[in-house]
Order: sequence, then C-alpha cells, then structure tokens
Amino acid sequence: MKKTRKIVVISLLISLGLVLHLVESFFPLSAVVPGAKLGLANIVSLIAISLFGFPTAFQVVIFRVVLGSLLAGTFMTINFYLSFSGGILSFILMYLAYYFLKDYLSLIGISIIGAVAHNTAQITAAYLIIANIGIFYYLPFLILLALPTGLGVGLVSYFTLKHLPFSITGGNL
Amino acid sequence: MKITDILTFYDKILIIFVIVLAFVLLIIPFYYFASTSEEAELILKVQQGDQVIKTVDLADSYREAVVFEVEGPIGTHIIEVNQGRVRVREAPAADPLKICEKTGWIDREGPIIVCVPNSLSLWLESTNSDIDGMSW
Repeated sequence: MKKTRKIVVISLLISLGLVLHLVESFFPLSAVVPGAKLGLANIVSLIAISLFGFPTAFQVVIFRVVLGSLLAGTFMTINFYLSFSGGILSFILMYLAYYFLKDYLSLIGISIIGAVAHNTAQITAAYLIIANIGIFYYLPFLILLALPTGLGVGLVSYFTLKHLPFSITGGNL
Repeated sequence: MKITDILTFYDKILIIFVIVLAFVLLIIPFYYFASTSEEAELILKVQQGDQVIKTVDLADSYREAVVFEVEGPIGTHIIEVNQGRVRVREAPAADPLKICEKTGWIDREGPIIVCVPNSLSLWLESTNSDIDGMSW
C-alpha cells in the first residue's frame, strides 16, 4: 500500500472509531450494569489489527482514546485513565490472540477476548482508585454482557473486512 | 451464511469458558451473603478513599427520607436514603459519565454504588452478621 493511501486509511479508521465512540454513548447500558458499554469502537481496533499489524493499529487505538476523551471533555481525568487502561489491555490481548491464535480463533473469539479484558482492566483500575473490594460484584455481569457485545463486534468486523476493496486490503487477509 | 460457519471450534470453547467463569464468579457473592435473613437490619456505609466517612441506619429512613451531601475532589454528591433504599440523587456536574446516578436504587447486600472520579463507594451491610461473628 502506498504511504499516502495508508495515512488516509488510518485517519479514516480513527474518525470512524471516534464516531462509534460517540454513538455508543447513546445506548444507556450503564443503567443495566454500571460501567457497561457496547464497545463499538473495538470494531475499528479489530479492523486495524487485521489490516496493518501492531504499530499502526496501536497508533489508531491511542489516537482514538485520546481524541475521544478530548471530545467528551474527560481528558486527563479518572474516566480517561479507566478507558485508557481498558483500551490498551484489550488491544494488546487482541493483538496477541490475533498473532498467535489466528488459525484457531475467528475474529469473533478475538473480539470476545478483547471485551472481557476491557471489562476486567476497568474494574481492576476502578478498584485501585476506590479501594473497595465490593466493586468486583459487577465483574461477572460485565463478563456475561461481554459475550453478546463481543459477538456482535466480531461479526461486524468480519463482514466489514470481507467487503473491503482489494485496494485497501492488498489481498493479504 | 450462518453464524456457525464463522465460529470455529475453539471459539465455542472460549465462549463456554467465559460463561463458566462468569457463573463461578457469580456464585461467590451468593455464598458470601447467604447468611443475610429477610429481617436483618441494614446499615449504609459511605467510603471515601480508604476510610468509612459515614454510616446511616436504614431503619431511620422509613419515616422521612435522609438526604445528605458528600464533598469530593470533583464536586458534591447528594445521597438520598428513602424507605430502606439508597441512591445517589445528584452526581456533580464535573462527572461526565454519572455512573453512580445511573446505578439507581440499591436495597440489599451485594450491589454497590461507586463514583470512581470521587473515589466514593456506598454499600449496605447487615448488622446481624457482625453480632453473630462476635458471639461465636
């Protein structure tokens, strides 16, 4: 892929991630289980991992988290650190799963790993701040919710990648 | 195209593993709170940082609602205790997600209301279990 084209695709992915980040705040999943969300922005991370590999996908995730928090007005607050820790851990685990277990797991399995890791990291980070073990009460509910959301996210990324033109995928999927 | 064409064998193993993990984690609080009987007296504990800053007897809330404020680094929370239930009535405006407000009412042991930006947590505890522990 040419350098200019790559930059364009990366910035498209980042802006898509930002829009999905804003869209998912319309779904009040926090009323069901505190702290739950759809994780739609993970679609972009999965696509970036499959298209570009680690360094570029990592850029996409970092830019998405930082710009998303700037837009929502939470930059450098505790909410930012929570979503940062969840985003980074789930990204790293998804990348490792993609790299080592690509032949065994489909994108659905990889996105479920990412969703569960995201929830666990956020709960653990929140526990470190409020120092109350009772917060782990919500962990099993969050993990159960991660199954349908991870499944949906994995399906969306699977079909998106399938319908991308050859000029973007370069035929190396 | 069906979803089973996309899911691999190891995907299904992963899904089953996650479900089992969630249920194992779900069982732990059931064991932990199993001793709570229906008539147990509940008290509300409010923790900020690593110390309990306030306790309220839920029995006091039946005649009229107990409303109090808790100061934190990012603002003031208004907490309401009413008819044996507790909620955060108003989270500070500086908290963009307001998760503690969205959690709604809690009325039993187990669920917990957290406001991570203010390192604030509220939960209910039965007084009976403490007495049992001491008398045994």
